[in-house]
Amino acid sequence: MPGLSTSLNIAVQALNAEQGALDVTSNNIANVNTPGYSREVAVFQESPTVQEGNVAYGTGVTLLQFQSVRDQMLQLRIYEETAQQSNAEAQFNSLSQIQTAFADPSQGVGGALTAFFNGLSQLSTNPTDSNARQQVLIAANNLATAFHQSVSALDQEQAELDQTVPKTVNQINQLTSQIAQLNSQVAQLTGLGKDPGTVQDQRDQLVQQLSELVNVSVTQTDQGITVTTGNGIPLVVAAQSFALQSGTSSGGLQGVFAQGQDVTSQIQGGTLGAAIQVRDTVIPNLLSQLDTLASQFTSSFNATHQAGFDLNGNAGGNFFTPLTSVSGAASKFSVAISDPNLIAASSDGSAGSNGNVAQMLAVQNQPLPEGVTPIQAYANLVLIVGNYGSSAQANVAASTASLQQLNDQRGAVSGVSLDEESTNMIKYQRAYEAAARVVTTVDSMMQILLGMGVTK
Amino acid sequence: MRVNPNIAPDILAAIYNTQTQEQTALQELSTGKRVNVPSDDPLAASLMVSNQDQSSRTDQYLQNIDTLTNQMQTADTALASVVTALNQAISLGVQGSTGTATAADRQQIAQNLQGIQQQIVQLANTEVGGVYLFAGTATTTTPYVLDSSSPSGVQYKGNMGINAVQVSDGVTVNTNLPGGQLFQNTNGDVFGSLQQLITALQIGTASDAATATNALRDAYNRITGSRVFYGNVENQLNSTQTFLNQERVNLSSQATSLIGVDITKAATDLTQATTAHDAALAAAAKMLPTSLLDYLK
Repeated sequence: MPGLSTSLNIAVQALNAEQGALDVTSNNIANVNTPGYSREVAVFQESPTVQEGNVAYGTGVTLLQFQSVRDQMLQLRIYEETAQQSNAEAQFNSLSQIQTAFADPSQGVGGALTAFFNGLSQLSTNPTDSNARQQVLIAANNLATAFHQSVSALDQEQAELDQTVPKTVNQINQLTSQIAQLNSQVAQLTGLGKDPGTVQDQRDQLVQQLSELVNVSVTQTDQGITVTTGNGIPLVVAAQSFALQSGTSSGGLQGVFAQGQDVTSQIQGGTLGAAIQVRDTVIPNLLSQLDTLASQFTSSFNATHQAGFDLNGNAGGNFFTPLTSVSGAASKFSVAISDPNLIAASSDGSAGSNGNVAQMLAVQNQPLPEGVTPIQAYANLVLIVGNYGSSAQANVAASTASLQQLNDQRGAVSGVSLDEESTNMIKYQRAYEAAARVVTTVDSMMQILLGMGVTK
Repeated sequence: MRVNPNIAPDILAAIYNTQTQEQTALQELSTGKRVNVPSDDPLAASLMVSNQDQSSRTDQYLQNIDTLTNQMQTADTALASVVTALNQAISLGVQGSTGTATAADRQQIAQNLQGIQQQIVQLANTEVGGVYLFAGTATTTTPYVLDSSSPSGVQYKGNMGINAVQVSDGVTVNTNLPGGQLFQNTNGDVFGSLQQLITALQIGTASDAATATNALRDAYNRITGSRVFYGNVENQLNSTQTFLNQERVNLSSQATSLIGVDITKAATDLTQATTAHDAALAAAAKMLPTSLLDYLK
């Protein structure tokens, strides 16, 4: 039987509900600048209707719950893109360091090669000139220095990247153990039928930080999320996290291990993937190009040098120290002679002959066994360095743009809009005012009712 | 449809973007280079290695040409003096082969000719910076020494080697004529015929002297002909120098087109980037503060 007290009840419920909803608005506004916060909405539900005779009437409103608004699929794509973006950025940073060693075409191995042959060319105009001979030796030693400097620039970057591996593995382990903790909290709250929004936001933030370090794959299960690396190495399952280990790998560099297995080569994406990629693929490739050039140039030049005669009329020896293996050749590249008179310029044994200088100069234009001339081999190296850098740069631009777009989309779903919150605030305030008015109205009606018995 | 209410990251990204463009254009303008590191344009950077190699080689070739021109001129001057000396020797020979010349006259002439012989030996031993120009490739050995026991009156210590120097890609020039070939050629033997004339004047007949003088004429012609060699090399060096100077211009303009900046374009880019940057800032200033709260009382 509906009555004044029912109306009063309904009005009080409404007051509570609108006031509660204002809490959501207030919390949303408070977190407008909190990274990773997903806005919450108040979910109202009308109370069950009561049937009395032919009249069915409502019994008010309940504030069912605060629901956070999120798009899980979008979040997964953000993780993926974050891993790519941070990977490209880290690669580009490393490659920028590396390419400075190859930036000036008149310097480095290329410039030193040219200067060395120019020295020989100068010698050909006066093969007995001791200054010209000395100059050839100086240029040859400069070439050796240029090889060593290029190698050490690459080695240095490799060592720096190597140091980041254990540090990054540590960061990953910290993040995964936090994620596992939050996972169990989410499961508890969900079990209690509560919205785990805040905890979920924190967890999402941590997973996003994790994807900056390594590419992860996230799947939703009843116990929370399961996080694995892109190719399936488990990191977090329900409330348990699986730590990765770092340690010296077979190649002497820092490797990544999961349950004792070396998984270094499987790590992709993120800054860890970038470090491993540049350290294990890019730098070794560049080093091997330098080694091949150093080794083939040495044998090719020595063979020519040995065909001539030095200033004393003796058959020419090795000009550069012979290199036994290609691997490491560039760092071992060195000049074998220190006496300028030992340069085998002569082709007939007489001091003034420059016949063999012409042969040595011809090495400049002859293809090495790798199929290109020495300077072309170096130009190719510059091309490779440049291509690595420019494709990383393009990846940075592309992934940054697409990450921005994804974040926009996420913002469109989950971002707090102050305009919207202001509107809601007015909405809740007006509803609160109206409900309060119902209370005063019921009150005055009750006064009337109570007065009926007293007056007259 | 709900849009992302937080426009700050997008606005900041736009500002960073236009700022980067500004910096790029500014860097291009200030360095004059479009390619500062290989990743700016890998192919151009790689081609620049060859370009630098070529242009540095060209400079070296030009330097070689200077050195060689100097050597050629010295050799040519020496040969010109040889020609003058031979001219004298021939007139002396003509004098000595006339019937009117007395024995004493002929002895006197022979003595004069010995002086000329010494002079030519000195000229044949011409050196530049310790390099004997007419010793073949035995450039550190004095090529000619007087030797009265030899039928030519001299001994050649040099060899018949010829040096060639590269003065441009694929272009080499021979840079010397060995003394053996210049002064003791079978088609005109300077020292042989000179000694022959001296001997004829000292102990032979007038007709011996005439024969020897004729042989000396052949030698004279031979030397005059050989001077053409040096003249030709000098001409070749000159024309190569012209070519190389042009090449240097070509290489430098190639370098500019590879990595140089198009000033007009860079300046336009800079203006555009500045305008875009201003626009982004203006938009930010206009949009960031606006909110419904401004209108609620």
